Amino acid sequence: MLAPYIQAMLSGLAVGGIYALIALSFSITFTTTNTLNFSQGEFVSFGAFVGITVLLFMSGATSLSAIPLSASGGLNYPIVLTVAGVLSGLIGIVIFVAAVRPFTGKPGMSWVMSTIGFGILLQNVGLLVWGPAPANLPAPLGDNVIRVLGAGVRPQELLDLSAAVVIMIAYDLLMRKSRVGKAMRAVAHSPQTASLMGINVQAMMIGAYAASSALAGIAGVLIAPVSTASLFMGLGFALKAFAGAIIGGLSNARGCIFGGFALGVIESYVGLWQAQWREIAVFVLIIIVLAVKPNGLFGARLVEKV
Amino acid sequence: MALLELRNLSINYGPIRAVDAASIVVDSNEVVAIIGANGAGKSSLLKGIAGLIDPSGGEICFNGSDISQLSAHKRVQMGIALSPEGRQVFPDQSVRDNLVLGAYARRLAKSELERELDEQFEMFPRLRERADQLAMTLSGGEQQMLAIARALMAKPKLLLLDEPSLGLAPLIVKDVFRIVRELHDKHIAILIVEQMANLALKIAHRGYVIETGRITTSGTGEELLRDPAIRAAYLGAAKSVA
Ligand SMILES: Nc1ncnc2c1ncn2[C@@H]1O[C@H](COP(=O)(O)OP(=O)(O)O)[C@@H](O)[C@H]1O
Ligand SMILES: [Mg+2]
Repeated sequence: MLAPYIQAMLSGLAVGGIYALIALSFSITFTTTNTLNFSQGEFVSFGAFVGITVLLFMSGATSLSAIPLSASGGLNYPIVLTVAGVLSGLIGIVIFVAAVRPFTGKPGMSWVMSTIGFGILLQNVGLLVWGPAPANLPAPLGDNVIRVLGAGVRPQELLDLSAAVVIMIAYDLLMRKSRVGKAMRAVAHSPQTASLMGINVQAMMIGAYAASSALAGIAGVLIAPVSTASLFMGLGFALKAFAGAIIGGLSNARGCIFGGFALGVIESYVGLWQAQWREIAVFVLIIIVLAVKPNGLFGARLVEKV
Repeated sequence: MALLELRNLSINYGPIRAVDAASIVVDSNEVVAIIGANGAGKSSLLKGIAGLIDPSGGEICFNGSDISQLSAHKRVQMGIALSPEGRQVFPDQSVRDNLVLGAYARRLAKSELERELDEQFEMFPRLRERADQLAMTLSGGEQQMLAIARALMAKPKLLLLDEPSLGLAPLIVKDVFRIVRELHDKHIAILIVEQMANLALKIAHRGYVIETGRITTSGTGEELLRDPAIRAAYLGAAKSVA
């Protein structure tokens, strides 16, 4: 009797984990550079197709649709995640240098248009390379539904959830314990003051874009086995993730993660009740949260003591 | 050879000229004060030296080489550290992490880093007590100590202090100046900017007066303290706290 609710919870957490990863990726560039990459969705799709292409080469298949279901087995899937992360990260550096940096620290929001433009470019390059047809990224643990407390879930959903949690904990530790993480937080608080510490702020901002884009690409590889990859799939995920980031508070990485998970779960439960209300529920939620807390639930800015 | 020499340095914010052809010299192991009213251009001058603002004219020579084109983080590596106006500690990081960030560019080994943290804690015992607290929980005076200690973690040859007494109670101001004196004994050149001219001129070897971006007077600390015009303009209301 409880099974449908547990099932909705698990798949909500799984997709919420993906939202959380992408929400975190928004937060990373927002806190360090005060800009957002509005082509993050295209990076999600791009990551998925890079992943599929790597599998194509590793399995020796002749076309995207001929990749055997076993192709993701063994170490292949971790390799795919790494390659997609690294390539997306490199393109993230390109977008920062070409489309964002010329506008940072200047009034106006030209970077909104330039990052959207870059996304269109990236999508069209993708269409040239891979064509418009959806493709399948085989799930590394297969597609046989497993039972958890009576609820049926796909192994990939559990894998997505665990991978998202591991990545986010690693990120949190990195930011709090490592030298580079502390420097990154210093830049987030004040680039000027950070530069007085001898921190190369430009390099940090490039690193932030690389990390943010890498997360988006990795999210694409994680979600593709559950939702069939297409070059258009990223936008929907990025929009939901952005909503999650707004709810949690863009300036707070942990808040963004919470917002992503919350959105996934709420969406899943609303879907259980009335599928057509899912999208509406998301936006009603945003409006309510922003009416009560304009900076998001956890986005209150620090007040400095004099 | 002077450690720092500004030659006709000018700094603009768009059409506003904040510093107008200022020429200043700081020798190694010298304490130099710059005094001037609110808005005279003191902070702009220090930001120009630290590399936070590009000068619109003139030269900044440090240790004999022109550094005016270098970015701020490179100047830190060369030995210039600024304790900025308003302290600007990183509020969401611990006192210890703020200090660790001060040494960021030096890539110290762990043992060396600990030794230097200890050195700062010797000089600022309050910071040792609060090492693991977030910087935002410190009082204003403690934050000022942290800002100075953080700048010292860069092991500067030249320390720039922007209004270290701002907003502090007289007793704490006295403490801050005691520390500046101690630093001088450790052979660090100091360029200190103050609105409260009295104390600054007392500890300074030399001083400059800046008015609407221009250096109008210079002399030894004692000379400036005796100058009637300066007494009237900057020392009139100030009672001695030292
Ligand atoms: N960021 C800025 N943009 C525009 N004008 C500025 C800025 N910072 C300072 N100014 C102006 O430059 C002049 C000098 O300011 P500042 O260097 O802060 O003086 P001080 O530190 O002596 O009080 C003032 O007229 C101030 O209004
Ligand atoms: Mg000032």
